[in-house]
Amino acid sequence: MILLEPNSRVLEETLLARFTSEKPEIVEITLVDFDNVVYHVQTSAEQRTLLNLSVEMKYFNEVLSYGADEILKREYGDYLIPVVNPQYQITLQFNLEQLPEDKTALARHVSMLKRNMLASSFIRAFEYWESQQEGAGPLMATHYRDSEAIYVQAQQDRVTVIFSTLFKEEVDRVLGKVFLQEFVDARRQSSIQNAPQVFYSSREPPLEIRHLPDLRQDESVGYVSFVLFPRHFADQEAREKTISQIQLFRDYLHYHIKCAKAYMHSRMRTRVKEFLKVINRAKPDRTTASSEKRTATGRYFRPQFRQPTSSQFVEGE
Amino acid sequence: MSQLPPVVIDNGTGYTKMGFAGNTDPQFVIPTVIGLPNQSRYGIASRRGIEDLDFHIGNEAVSNSKSYGLNYPIRHGQIDDWDHMERYWEQSIFKYMRCEPEDHYFLLTEPPLNAPENREQMAEIFFESFNVQGLYIAVQAVLALAASWTAKNSHQTLTGTVIDSGDGVTHVIPVAEGYVLGSSIKHIPIAGRDITAFVQQLLREHGESSIPPEDSLDVARKIKEQYSYTCHDMAKEFTKFDTDPVKYYKAFDAINSINQQSYRVDIGYERFLAPEVFFNPELVSSDFLTPLPEIVDNCIQVSPIDTRRGLYSNIVLSGGSTMFKDFGKRLQRDIKRIVDGRVQKSEELSGGRLQAKPIDVNVIAHKKQRHAVWFGGSIMACTDQFYQFSHTKAEYEEHGPSICRHNRVFESLA
Repeated sequence: MILLEPNSRVLEETLLARFTSEKPEIVEITLVDFDNVVYHVQTSAEQRTLLNLSVEMKYFNEVLSYGADEILKREYGDYLIPVVNPQYQITLQFNLEQLPEDKTALARHVSMLKRNMLASSFIRAFEYWESQQEGAGPLMATHYRDSEAIYVQAQQDRVTVIFSTLFKEEVDRVLGKVFLQEFVDARRQSSIQNAPQVFYSSREPPLEIRHLPDLRQDESVGYVSFVLFPRHFADQEAREKTISQIQLFRDYLHYHIKCAKAYMHSRMRTRVKEFLKVINRAKPDRTTASSEKRTATGRYFRPQFRQPTSSQFVEGE
Repeated sequence: MSQLPPVVIDNGTGYTKMGFAGNTDPQFVIPTVIGLPNQSRYGIASRRGIEDLDFHIGNEAVSNSKSYGLNYPIRHGQIDDWDHMERYWEQSIFKYMRCEPEDHYFLLTEPPLNAPENREQMAEIFFESFNVQGLYIAVQAVLALAASWTAKNSHQTLTGTVIDSGDGVTHVIPVAEGYVLGSSIKHIPIAGRDITAFVQQLLREHGESSIPPEDSLDVARKIKEQYSYTCHDMAKEFTKFDTDPVKYYKAFDAINSINQQSYRVDIGYERFLAPEVFFNPELVSSDFLTPLPEIVDNCIQVSPIDTRRGLYSNIVLSGGSTMFKDFGKRLQRDIKRIVDGRVQKSEELSGGRLQAKPIDVNVIAHKKQRHAVWFGGSIMACTDQFYQFSHTKAEYEEHGPSICRHNRVFESLA
């Protein structure tokens, strides 16, 4: 189906293959995830049974300031080692001889690394809401791509999440605009009243972030705000689900724009096929009745287009 | 900002290999199949909802084949249904590779003698639907040659004969300095699938009644992959097996997929007869009787005369069905025998007045044979020149899809 998963399937499968393989081979694999995240899986130089996973994350310093290191320690503390290569921000090390029983669960857990890192600003906002403080919390921006960011801000009764997204392509921009307007309208359907409220504006940044200095204000930028109510994050299970799903919003948006284009292309191809049928039908038929010319004796004359031969005269009925 | 690694996708008739450049193995090898809901029929007015998003690809499509109809968008190496292929790519990029196509360069593959129109279609889809940064479309045979550069005895040239044997069909493709010699390509209707069927038949004939019928194909495939080897002489091998069966017969333990009981299968002549199909096709076929070494020799003999030495000295194996133990050695010996025979005969005919320079025959086997095309693509996309040779989005917008008719590696219309 079209649904995207919160974890990285490539990473999960790669790690699981290493964890379960009987003899450790020397590997060096580079993988990519959404939002310019690069994973580097490599066998340690000193020892074959040690597997290093390094992660490059552009926005690591930002999430660090929202408490990502706590999450990192809590979730992956057993495997965390100091960074080996300065290009990467996080390095985990797995000893292939001392893995826990459930290797599948471990691989899955590690493949959620990016999701857990990006979750830090959400978790902090939810915690702020739990602390019942007066007024709005700090505005937390995560620049997950060049000139695109997620802003999260907690208020007394809600948490606002604002995505800024950039459309590089003219066509994408138009489609994205239509898509997002429809998205906002679709929210009004009675069946999905529990979904978070959505607002969309192109060009104009929403009020919450209008004071920020580094905002782009041209046609290619769109802002989507989600308003999360306590029912979306009050209990732990809903909270995790909300974080997993809202994070992927940008990827979904761009994915669906591409799907929409593919859909239109398929319709265009069908249309062309239909037109071709019409054109093929319109070919002049050489043996139609109008081209028959009769002679006085009742024989008819059929004009032939190429080789005129003596058999032009055919016996009539 | 450091450049993200290019994405390499090799769409084959049976399987799609995809992964990030720089790695030695593809990250995903999934069947090239798309599962579409059974009831949806193509009418221009019928679809108004999100039915077009309801589909599966790869293994998920296969496992959901009860409720989704399976479609194979690639036939005989060529893309047959562009609608399905576009959606296949869409899901493989976003769901499997998890990358934003706008951030990457892409390397795609095409079969030899692909029509330029197909290449243009590919470019249209990748630049217009996915907005990729850059695209390079490489010929599979050339990538297989590039992949052989890692082998020890490799010449590191782009001249050579590629023997590409996958699941469906085997091709022998001569390549001279990166150009595919289209008129000399030979096809052999024997490939992995036929060998598996042959092993299955042999097992049935020597009375392995313990194999449940529903597992029979799978068991045959596993036996073929794990126990087969290429022998030097079929008759000698038969006597070897007959005089000392204990040493040569193997046993294969399998588990019934339905009642989970284990059973044992004895493997005998299958071990060397399976790859022998390439050298003695009469084992499986009654209308195709030319052995593979002869086909390779023919293929080189109809190529331009100035390329022939290069083609003989660099015969490269690619694809899963060339993975049999010692397959390369046997092939090299047989081709050498044909070539030497011909040279000797011409010397005799000249009455000893002419001395021919001996022709060097070299079959190159290497470790990455199974996914050689993908691996070659991965190597190629890692080089610095890759970015120069690729067509960028800006160029596409300036000139349109026809830029893909031009291959900058050769600086001419290819």
